[in-house]
Amino acid sequence: MQADPTQRDQIRVLRPATPREAVALAKTTGAPYIAGGSGLQPVWERNGSWPRQIVALNPGWPGFRGIEETGQGLRVGALTTLGELAQHPLIHRYLPCLPEFMDQVAGPGVRHLGTVGGNLCAGGDLSALFLALDAQVHRLSDDDPQEQCQPLEDYSAGDGTLMTALSIPDSRQWRIGLEKLGYRERFSPPRATVACVHDGQTMRRAVCGEGGPARLRSSETDQDTELTAGGWQDPALRLAIQRMLAFLQEDIARDH
Amino acid sequence: MTTDRPASISTLAVDWGPEGQPGDTLYQRIDGQLDYPTDLLNLPGLLHGAILRSDQAHARLLAVDTRVARTMPGVHSVVTAEDVPGLNRFGIVVRDQPVFCEDRVRYEGDAIAAVAADTPAQARAAIAAIRVEYQPLPVVEDAASAENQPALHEGSNLLAQESLTRGDVDQALAACAVVVEHEYRTPRQMHGFMETEGGVALPDGNGGVLFRVGCQSGHRDVEQLADILALPRAQVSVEAMTTGGAFGGKDELTIQPAAGILALRTGRPVMIHLDRFESCRSGMKRHPVAVRMTTGCDARGHLLAHRVDAVLDTGAYASLGPAVLENFMDHATAPLYRIDSYAVTGRLVYTNNGLCGAFRGFGGNQATFAVESQLDALACKLGMDPGELRRKNLRSRQEPGSRGQPVRWTAAPATVLDAALASPLWQPGNPAGARWLTGTGLAFGAQGNGLGDGLPDSGGGRLSLTPEGRIRVEFGFADYGQDIAGAITRSVCDALGCGSADVEVVLGQSRGPDSGPTSASRSSVMVHGLLSRMLPEWTQTLKRLAAELTGQPAEDLAPGTGGLFLQGRRLIDYRELAGKAPPDALVAEAGQDFPVAPGQETPVGRYLQLQIATIARVMVDRLTGRVRVTDLHHITAAGRVIYPPGYLGQIEGAAVMGLGMTLTEDMPTRKGRMQRDNLDQYLMPTIGDAPAQRVDVVDDTPENDPYPIRGIGELGIEAVTPAIVSAIEAATGVRVRTLPVSPSALLEAIQAREAQS
Amino acid sequence: MKDGDQPLETIRFELNGQAVTRSVPAAAALIDLLRDGGQVTSVRPGCRIGRCGACNVLVDGQVMPACLVMAWQLPGRRIETVEGLSDDPDYLRVRQALARESALQCGYCTPGFALSLVSALRARRQGGPADLTEALTGNLCRCTGYGGLKRAIERHLGPDPTDPSVA
Ligand SMILES: Cc1cc2nc3c(=O)[nH]c(=O)nc-3n(C[C@H](O)[C@H](O)[C@H](O)COP(=O)(O)OP(=O)(O)OC[C@H]3O[C@@H](n4cnc5c(N)ncnc54)[C@H](O)[C@@H]3O)c2cc1C
Ligand code: FES
Ligand code: FES
Repeated sequence: MQADPTQRDQIRVLRPATPREAVALAKTTGAPYIAGGSGLQPVWERNGSWPRQIVALNPGWPGFRGIEETGQGLRVGALTTLGELAQHPLIHRYLPCLPEFMDQVAGPGVRHLGTVGGNLCAGGDLSALFLALDAQVHRLSDDDPQEQCQPLEDYSAGDGTLMTALSIPDSRQWRIGLEKLGYRERFSPPRATVACVHDGQTMRRAVCGEGGPARLRSSETDQDTELTAGGWQDPALRLAIQRMLAFLQEDIARDH
Repeated sequence: MTTDRPASISTLAVDWGPEGQPGDTLYQRIDGQLDYPTDLLNLPGLLHGAILRSDQAHARLLAVDTRVARTMPGVHSVVTAEDVPGLNRFGIVVRDQPVFCEDRVRYEGDAIAAVAADTPAQARAAIAAIRVEYQPLPVVEDAASAENQPALHEGSNLLAQESLTRGDVDQALAACAVVVEHEYRTPRQMHGFMETEGGVALPDGNGGVLFRVGCQSGHRDVEQLADILALPRAQVSVEAMTTGGAFGGKDELTIQPAAGILALRTGRPVMIHLDRFESCRSGMKRHPVAVRMTTGCDARGHLLAHRVDAVLDTGAYASLGPAVLENFMDHATAPLYRIDSYAVTGRLVYTNNGLCGAFRGFGGNQATFAVESQLDALACKLGMDPGELRRKNLRSRQEPGSRGQPVRWTAAPATVLDAALASPLWQPGNPAGARWLTGTGLAFGAQGNGLGDGLPDSGGGRLSLTPEGRIRVEFGFADYGQDIAGAITRSVCDALGCGSADVEVVLGQSRGPDSGPTSASRSSVMVHGLLSRMLPEWTQTLKRLAAELTGQPAEDLAPGTGGLFLQGRRLIDYRELAGKAPPDALVAEAGQDFPVAPGQETPVGRYLQLQIATIARVMVDRLTGRVRVTDLHHITAAGRVIYPPGYLGQIEGAAVMGLGMTLTEDMPTRKGRMQRDNLDQYLMPTIGDAPAQRVDVVDDTPENDPYPIRGIGELGIEAVTPAIVSAIEAATGVRVRTLPVSPSALLEAIQAREAQS
Repeated sequence: MKDGDQPLETIRFELNGQAVTRSVPAAAALIDLLRDGGQVTSVRPGCRIGRCGACNVLVDGQVMPACLVMAWQLPGRRIETVEGLSDDPDYLRVRQALARESALQCGYCTPGFALSLVSALRARRQGGPADLTEALTGNLCRCTGYGGLKRAIERHLGPDPTDPSVA
């Protein structure tokens, strides 16, 4: 018989009671986590094939949803929606450039569904800023009884670990520049999003989009090579990235 | 209206006429109370159909095995080419497209089989279980060389070749002081209607079928469907329901043949609604055009010669391709300008690149993009103001059209151009901004109404009083949002003096009058003409009957809101009149030919002409090359405005559609395969991309003009592309000739120029 | 998986003020639950991947594309569509604004736009963003070119002066 592609209606939704159970279920079944589902469902629709099972993440789990001050900065629950992030008073205080930028991330409806964790795991638009901020990921994994913390840059989604939250350093005194280049002005898949963060001493740069998320470490003159090596094949897009970065840096320098 | 401009120019605003408010149907739409064909999900016994489409762009079909599919749960019927009861072909101009392919598929998306099942999921599962064996054939993908490649149909891949000439263009070119030669390319734009193709076929219980679908010409569809279903025409009827957009893309049959066959097979209503993926892959698109233009003038800027060589890619089947080619040619002659010698040749070729057909603009806007770009290029080379160059060469109102044919304008072209040059937007931008480079561009276009070139073009309408006392106006046109019903109601109210609640507009019933297709911007012209024929006599009859019933003199009676009035007092209401009048006394029918030039044996081109000048202001990001269109100002001359909300909406909507084609929209193919399949890859403008727009109306239509109302559905897309491209050049110094504008190419050019200076 | 094997779940939620109990596949899309049998037809498919807004609904007052909301996410939630808003003051204001400015042609997209606006008006009263144009960036309209929508916002949907939060 024809290999019968799993249809949407046949998906089994696994609903673990705890984050730990979620990690265990993901491990034993190989099923993907689903948070808002706004990243995953379009892919499944397009391919016309759905996974047999999915592991539903529960925003009710303690610490998974919401934003709080930690003393060193902010802790953002992985299941905080993009809409909540854009609206949150703490974000307005700590990252005043973010709310306006969020107007360019998906659309209002999708922002009510999509989550910060899902966005970062998928290498979405938030990656550039959070990479440049040196954000830390809190994660649970099957082989470790403790929640671990690691730089976002080193975090690899898809290996079965569960992102529980994100820690962002206190950036209130920092200078931040953020730009997205899409195909159109709003509601566009990212072509390239760039972020520059200056903490008073050093400038940190990061990028995400068609070539994938990355912290950029080379000097300005070697940036093109670094981008090429990082998977940015389109020379004009590399040029745009470098010009956006240069512009943001100048802007930040001028502010000083 | 500003005072320093001629009195006949006004800026259009939404105006609801004497009643001061929108009609009920608008509220119904907002409230979701109006059913679209794909909303008819509560029909008793409804089955869901799905279509199996080729996943090869070009192949022999060796075998189609439906055995497994037939046994799948919920499946009621599986049909293939063998099950087509009548003619397995359709097509408006040439019936060359199979309902289901027999032995060969010609594009990725060609229909092979269809299934009816209890649920959409079951239908999809059964489709997935049909096994098809293909033997791939070489894919014809390059339009320019298509005619030298293996033929998709009988004969060669050259479906049509046309030329229009005047004078000796070679000689004229040799005499030019300045010549520009460029090649232009336009994209395979998708209609992108929000409601994808769909609807229901309902068996009528007597062997016939009723279609409730989104379509553009119920009567013509009946002819084709009757042949496909092997039914007498009387047994096939179409209700062209309010549909969620069409723009030309629902002009051909879409899901009707498959749904009809399945409905006859199962004896149950069958709904087919393509999802966006399938619509992108299989649906109609705009013809991509590659055109080379050589244009020359003397040292003072008088145009002398114009040569055009174009290739239009019609895809796997003809559809309306030949008519699109004709309209392209017409526009490629630069109809607004006086050019003594031209040679325009166009070739229309078959390829395996999907399917192209009717689309708002209909080849004309592609040509105008190139023509207007050529004029800018000449102006630049001459060091002349582009407005000045145009003014020098404009035709006067009295002159014939570019093909020597009589034309009828609603304003002198010079008046429209002057209004455009007076636009507040028509001022230099700032091409030296730190980040955003701004610029302004202007383009001018003309467009005709009607099917054109002497194609048979006629239609009818009907007027009656219903037993409930409503004035029923019937036309065969389909309502896909152009708000034709609003315009008809307004016309009837204006003519009779009745209220909009007295009028009932019935559209798109194939059992009703045949008004001809809802295309070529012809409906408004036909509606006006037919109403002018029917209304005076009908009103007389109305008054006469009322006079007989009330004993008052007919000449003292006047129709008004709710009934007939005598000296401001309602004497008898329409309902009572309807009850007492003899049956059929209040029925009027009329038919007419679409207006063509008087005294022409075989009409050439189009007689009724409209104009639009569009001024665009853009910002180009020096960092990335992306383009924002911030403002569009349109000066339109398209006759009298009877229904301002409709006029404004048509111009604004068409302009943003043209903006999309200019900046982001394309459906590229590779080896015949569509490279984009949904709205995350095929990017149409959002409100964030939509510019501020202003629409001005120049109306110098003579009081006694027999055709004061023109169709404006396609006008807004005519000049927007060259205006934007010209504005980009003003901002960056870079002229883009391949659409959509590539921000990458623009950025690289900007950088190169920066490096130079 | 065979057909009888569908993992059905019993789900309770509120639809336009009515309690609803449905036995449905856990991953079914809300758009299909609503449209099935023609119950709620103002929620319309245009892309099924969240890209057009034609299927918008309000979930606990917030606008979301129903094609991306799964059945298992529904229990306990309050779903609203234009069919259920005939007495809602925000909706009535939006409806009037759209009609007056002729912000629609075919109207297929319109309920989705209306819900985006209702959601944004509600949020604005709670101190959310004032810019209603941004609220419409997730909806596509192919007919109008957005002119009427912009006019509706500019002319009729400014902050309500009687609203206490506007100070
Ligand atoms: C119409 C539309 C427009 C969009 N526009 C944009 C855009 O402009 N910019 C942009 O960046 N994105 C965009 N997206 C993508 C997506 O919506 C966002 O990236 C969103 O933030 C994803 O979050 P989610 O919760 O919906 O992810 P999901 O779809 O649930 O998951 C995404 C991935 O992350 C994994 N995952 C989710 N949460 C966790 C976790 N806590 N731990 C480990 N793994 C996890 C999932 O397994 C999956 O692989 C768009 C999507 C749509 C439908
Ligand atoms: S169908 Fe849901 S957003 Fe398009
Ligand atoms: S009115 Fe037709 S899509 Fe918006």
